[in-house]
Amino acid sequence: MTVAAQNPTPTNQTNNKDKIGMKSVELTNVEKHYSGFHALKDINLTIEKGEFIVMVGPSGCGKSTLLKTIAGLETVTSGTLTINGRDVTKEEPGDRGIAMVFQSYALYPHMTVGENMGFGLKMAKRPKAEIDAAVKRAAEILRITEQLDKRPKQLSGGQRQRVAIGRAITRSPEVFLFDEPLSNLDAALRTQMRVELSTLHAELGSTMIYVTHDQVEAMTMASRIVVLNKGAIEQVGSPLELYANPINHFVAGFLGAPRMNFFEGRVVTVSGNRVSVTVEGLPELQFADIADVKLSVGDKVMVGVRPERFKTGEQTGDASFEAKIRLIEHLGRETILHVDGGPVVTTGSDTGTQNITVQLGDVVAFSNGQSVKVSFDLSDAYLFGPDGKTITPAKAATRT
Amino acid sequence: MYPRPIPENKKLARFGYMAGVSLVLVLWLLPLFAVIMTSFRSFDDVMAGNYWGWPSKFNLVENYVAVFEQTKMTRYFMNSLIITVPSVIMVLVFSTLTGFVLSRYRFRGSMVIFAIFVGGNFLPQQIMMIPIRDLMVSIGLYDTFYALILFHVAFQTGFATLFMRNFIAALPDELFQAARAEGASPWQTLIHIVVPLVRPALAALAILAFTFIWNDYFWALVLTQSDVVKPVTAGLSNLKGEWVSAWNIVSAATIFVAIPPVVMFFLMQKHFISGLTMGAVKG
Repeated sequence: MTVAAQNPTPTNQTNNKDKIGMKSVELTNVEKHYSGFHALKDINLTIEKGEFIVMVGPSGCGKSTLLKTIAGLETVTSGTLTINGRDVTKEEPGDRGIAMVFQSYALYPHMTVGENMGFGLKMAKRPKAEIDAAVKRAAEILRITEQLDKRPKQLSGGQRQRVAIGRAITRSPEVFLFDEPLSNLDAALRTQMRVELSTLHAELGSTMIYVTHDQVEAMTMASRIVVLNKGAIEQVGSPLELYANPINHFVAGFLGAPRMNFFEGRVVTVSGNRVSVTVEGLPELQFADIADVKLSVGDKVMVGVRPERFKTGEQTGDASFEAKIRLIEHLGRETILHVDGGPVVTTGSDTGTQNITVQLGDVVAFSNGQSVKVSFDLSDAYLFGPDGKTITPAKAATRT
Repeated sequence: MYPRPIPENKKLARFGYMAGVSLVLVLWLLPLFAVIMTSFRSFDDVMAGNYWGWPSKFNLVENYVAVFEQTKMTRYFMNSLIITVPSVIMVLVFSTLTGFVLSRYRFRGSMVIFAIFVGGNFLPQQIMMIPIRDLMVSIGLYDTFYALILFHVAFQTGFATLFMRNFIAALPDELFQAARAEGASPWQTLIHIVVPLVRPALAALAILAFTFIWNDYFWALVLTQSDVVKPVTAGLSNLKGEWVSAWNIVSAATIFVAIPPVVMFFLMQKHFISGLTMGAVKG
């Protein structure tokens, strides 16, 4: 699939099966300073052939910078970047064997769709027959054959993004780079394109690196998610792994919508591998099986519970509290309750609600102002140390 | 549609506005009208002082034929074309190159270079009269086409660079990143991406530079001497000397000289396309 003419390394000649487990992109100690701003901090990441890597993080976390660094549109201050085992740190973007799809599509407005898609090959002075064949093939994959003679302005947003993806496919790159490609599309189209991109990835088998701030895109498309924060990688792992076992408070809060509820607490006793924590408004919480306890009595800790892990009414968990419903959001398939009372939720840096968010998998006949008993199991709760690291033992990524 | 500066129901204000606009228009076009009318008159009319009245005889064809038969206007006209056309082309080429580099590449001293281009425009041209003339004499270009071409290209490129730099800087960044990611060299980017997208700017600039260079009188006087080099502007004043009171012929020559900039405008007009970058980014 990834037989790119511009890459003379012998790895190209190997077939797809041999590529499994081969390194596609490798970043080693990559640092990036903009005038006084530390944009990327010691990035180490190995991406294997055929992986779909999604990079997420809050605005300004460096995810787009990292993508542009891989593309070669930004230079690195130090560190090395290899693509297919070849050191490309100092190479021009056009020589790296990458193709990039931009959030704003970045189509050339004065060219037809076909000319847009063949532009890269034309610049590389490929024979016309080869360009036409590559454009035709890409257009068939994306079902835009009828649009080839149109101009970008005659197309809808979704079609334009298809053309931009087609332009990338035409060059048969080693690595596809996507910079928030779907965020300009409306919700319905986004869902559709998400599925199409995943299908495309399965068809082409190429390495794809995808930057987004949309959690759903990250969770559904990624083979591995890279969570970035303030220019550094927080955690890398499969979507379910990251969701079940966030390494720290940041990752726990970033993945999942509605967001995890965090309660501030204090360590009251430590004995062996057991830690007791008090949280205002809750009974004392006893966390067991904690490996390598570094906490001491009086430490400030954080307890986290995902909204869907709360129970209401008759079902009771290990810890419960009485709360009053302030707002109900009926989503049809599920119900989200914002409740007051019991422990106080800390929002951290994110400006969020002070209410506890409870997500119920049913349409529930609650009404605003009603009192409700909310509880959760300790096995569903996360304990984060004073440094934000997760202390509670790993949970199974999939549950029965 | 358009905002209306005066509400429709204020009848008096609207009337005053229309009257004012008409008055200014008439005043503005009056000299031109007089020149056109004079170019129709007979020599006798001019001698009799009939400048504004109805012409006693329409000498339209005779006057315009006389311009070509009895004066050196054809030569001056050719000289003007020889000076203006290459100058305009060179100004467009140079300013596109400088504009592209100054807007898209960051390098040490780029701001200084840009400041010099812009700052040069603030110098009154007259203070350079003696130095430029001496320069042209000493390098042997005085009283040649090259003197005027060189000067106009050098002087027009400053403003044109400012114009093109700002226009190219306004093109979406992603287009350049996309081109670079696809392996286009800076030259390829310039030719395949920048030039097609700055066509309206190039057309506007072409009209401005053409009109300025074509109409230049000052430098034509300073840098040329002989009839084989003189452009139309300097030539027209020659006409005045040769035909002291033949204002009808001078007027006809003037109208003739004024045609090329107008033609230029209509030639370039089709390139004024708004929204050329529509469809490039977002929706």
